[in-house]
Amino acid sequence: MFLSVANLTKSYQTGITTKVLKGLNMELGKGQIGVMLGPSGSGKSTLMNIIGGVDKADSGTVEVADVCVTDLNDNQLVEYRRGKVGFVFQFYNLIPNLTVAENIEVISNISKNPLPLDEILEAVGLTDKKNRFPRELSGGEQQRVSIARAIIKNPLLLLCDEPTGALDSNSSRGVLTLIQNINIQFGTTTLMITHNSAIADMAHTVYKLRDGKVAETAHNTELIPAERIEW
Amino acid sequence: MVLRKRIRRILLENKGRYIGIFILIFIGSFSFIAFKGFSGNYERLINEFAQKNMQEDVSFTGYEQIEDISSLEQETGAIIDTHKYYDVPLHHERELRLISISHKVNIPSVITGRMPKYPREILLSPNFYDTYGYEIGDTIKINDDMFEVVGTVALPNYVFPLKYINDVIPPPGFGLGVIATDDMDVFPDAVTVYTARFTDRDNVKAQVTGLYNSITQKGLMLSEWMDASANKRIRMAWATISGSKAMSVPVPTAMFLLCCLIVGLMIWRMVRSESIIIGTLYAQGYRRKELLQHYLSIPLMVSFIAGLAGSLLALPTIYPTIKLMVTLYYIVPFDKVVHSLTDIVLGALMPVIFLGLASWAVIRKELAKSPAELMKGDIQKAKVNVLERTLKLDYLSFNNKFKVREQLRSIPRLIFLLFGVMAASFMMLIGFTINNSMTTVFSSEANTSFNYSWEYSFKEAKQGTPVSGTIPFNAIRSHPEGRESIEFYLTGISTDAPYVYDLVDGKGNELSKEQVNISYLLAKRLNLSIGDRITVVNKLDGKSYYLVIDGIAQTYAGQFIYMPLSDFNELIGMPTDSYKGVFSKATIEYSPEELSGIKDLKNMVNSMDELMMPMMMVVVSLTIIASIIGVIIIYLVTSLTIEESRGSISLLKVFGYRSKEIKRLILSGSSPFVIAGFILGIPVMLISATALYRYLGEMINLALPMILNPLHAVISFTLLYAVYEFTKLSCGRKLAAIPMSDALKAGME
Repeated sequence: MFLSVANLTKSYQTGITTKVLKGLNMELGKGQIGVMLGPSGSGKSTLMNIIGGVDKADSGTVEVADVCVTDLNDNQLVEYRRGKVGFVFQFYNLIPNLTVAENIEVISNISKNPLPLDEILEAVGLTDKKNRFPRELSGGEQQRVSIARAIIKNPLLLLCDEPTGALDSNSSRGVLTLIQNINIQFGTTTLMITHNSAIADMAHTVYKLRDGKVAETAHNTELIPAERIEW
Repeated sequence: MVLRKRIRRILLENKGRYIGIFILIFIGSFSFIAFKGFSGNYERLINEFAQKNMQEDVSFTGYEQIEDISSLEQETGAIIDTHKYYDVPLHHERELRLISISHKVNIPSVITGRMPKYPREILLSPNFYDTYGYEIGDTIKINDDMFEVVGTVALPNYVFPLKYINDVIPPPGFGLGVIATDDMDVFPDAVTVYTARFTDRDNVKAQVTGLYNSITQKGLMLSEWMDASANKRIRMAWATISGSKAMSVPVPTAMFLLCCLIVGLMIWRMVRSESIIIGTLYAQGYRRKELLQHYLSIPLMVSFIAGLAGSLLALPTIYPTIKLMVTLYYIVPFDKVVHSLTDIVLGALMPVIFLGLASWAVIRKELAKSPAELMKGDIQKAKVNVLERTLKLDYLSFNNKFKVREQLRSIPRLIFLLFGVMAASFMMLIGFTINNSMTTVFSSEANTSFNYSWEYSFKEAKQGTPVSGTIPFNAIRSHPEGRESIEFYLTGISTDAPYVYDLVDGKGNELSKEQVNISYLLAKRLNLSIGDRITVVNKLDGKSYYLVIDGIAQTYAGQFIYMPLSDFNELIGMPTDSYKGVFSKATIEYSPEELSGIKDLKNMVNSMDELMMPMMMVVVSLTIIASIIGVIIIYLVTSLTIEESRGSISLLKVFGYRSKEIKRLILSGSSPFVIAGFILGIPVMLISATALYRYLGEMINLALPMILNPLHAVISFTLLYAVYEFTKLSCGRKLAAIPMSDALKAGME
């Protein structure tokens, strides 16, 4: 398996101990799209942060492309994130004083073999807006920049934390289509968090999280194109 | 109000920044009170001394005695007194100028001990007394007599105890001794000096001219005429007072303005980042005034405490500073320090007013928005300013683009950095430059290779061939027409022998003795070039002479014009072979009746160390203060940059940027502005120092060359840049502490 998570636990100390992940297991094949569904507090974001190497587990293992992420030290985690993982956030997290092209360059700047910027801009449909600043773009366009930024380094794993959470249905459809196209075009394994169960239809595997565990895993045999997803 | 509880928390959360602001305000208030207190008290002491002890308005010596002083007093409205002085060498290369006690003008003021009551008693100047460890009751052998030390004394005409009027500083080993008039009679060669002070204190200058006219109309021949306004022994202290007064305003103002910028910026950021909270509080019924009070309380509190602390802690420094000055430099009786309540209040409240107004303007603007607008959150955060928008950076590498954009993100922050570095470099450079100028002048005088050892001045002009081995000269003390404060000697020297010391032009070529040569400093001060014409006025008789400048002597040793003796004599209407003095390589035994003075040229200036020590202390102090200011400013800017880029830093960490890369991107962008600030500081310093030098020059007739040594500029820059690098290094930890969760949670609140 490209991504495998075994017996993962994580708790936070905030005066009281909050167990967020309680021995979670999951797997995702290479080049597949995985969608995580679940209510708030079910551990979706924590799981994604540990898979992405921005947080550490208490116990259990996470393996991505034969790398045991949970065994990596801080410096190795930096290299892991730098080389293998792309992030897309709900609120885009673009740097406001950098133009569209420059925001994408933030990643190509540290990548060994980045994809050509113009090709990526073309792929996300923002060639004509490459010199604009984030606030001059719509929400959907900003999220497309965020996706372009994530994929320019051609990551092995694309992690999307509610990429359509802040968008209207039309923009959401556009963004999901883009993610799906990227998955098809570049074979990027993609793991996505969402509250919207309709999105699950575009994923190969759907994980339903509840109380820090995967309560249910479903495999779609037929994938629906993102543009046909109904809200 | 429950909101008050936040103030302490906000201060603690940003303690580094508020400590920095505290120190800047502290330095501002401290320097204001210290400079004002020093100059105010010193001015009071000198004024009181001058008034109470009847400081002279003019002094003069003549070739003959004034027979009827009281009729001259009646005629001119002046109080005229006489005293005698005589220089006696002591053992260990010490020298005392014995001065007889005056009772009407320049009345001595006993500092410690008592006035001489019995024969052979002497009061010493405190510098001489302290330096050589004399005690009351000690005896000093003068010639064959033993004088008993009965105390220390200040003389109104020797506030700055210069031996010769054109000296820059008192020579080492030189002191004053005040003795009874009867005791002075044992020195038959003592010089009689007339001193006058006018009872009507208005328009003293015109009365001085009137006195001069009365004396010359009576046919009395004057050998020396010295206005108090041109007398460095009296005026030098005023230069220090004026310098201190001048420093009391710009230094604190610069500090307060810098604080206004940074505090305004911080409050602006805080108010903006809390716009949702403010909007919510508004919506729930808080009044604008209450919120304004809340956000104003932080700058007001910090500025008041810092201002008050700076003002109060500066007060105890005034007494020892003045005590040191009155003992070593400008000797006046010193009893107590008077503190000005107005100054203390100003020192404490000025920063409050400065910062309060700046913060009020910033907060008021934000609070003018509607609650709904405020609750939308910090939408302005994403705003891109005109500069960022218009700048095309496509040709730059990503790293450089990022650095430029990070810097341009906050123009006030950039201005603060630029001005802050300018202020710090200004202080460092001016310290070095003043030190440099003084060193150049004194080393130039000290290192001048004199061709003669002695200068003998005669009471009356001589004619014919002088004693073998001597070179005759004639001189008048003069000033350029219309500029009486610039005083110099116009000297005619025989062309048959070398000058007193060799003079070369700017290219190193020896200047001809057959022409009119002006010293570089005087030419610069009068803005004269070769071929220019100058009208010179004789200070003694007011007659004018026209000269054309033929050469400029590249020397920093004094202000003078040299010309051939015969031409000089022809110019002033004397026989061409007459002279009033000679330079000699060896001592010559002239009869005391013939001489009006002897100068040992080679030992005239060799007190470099004494003068340089306090100068070095000034430079070191300025450099330390400048470094502290530099550290604070750079720290404040760097920490603000980190704070403002928190989101980006966190995001870069998530993306896999290494710490070093982030540090380089976020913190190194300021380097060009630190360099620019330093470079801009140079012309600002040069302009300010030129103005200061001109001002001091007019005040004490001293021309200082403006020399910025490139080595010192390099040292200043290296120091400043080291401070910058050090601050970056220490801020690196701050940067490392920013968690990745900031980016992951962005927009969630």
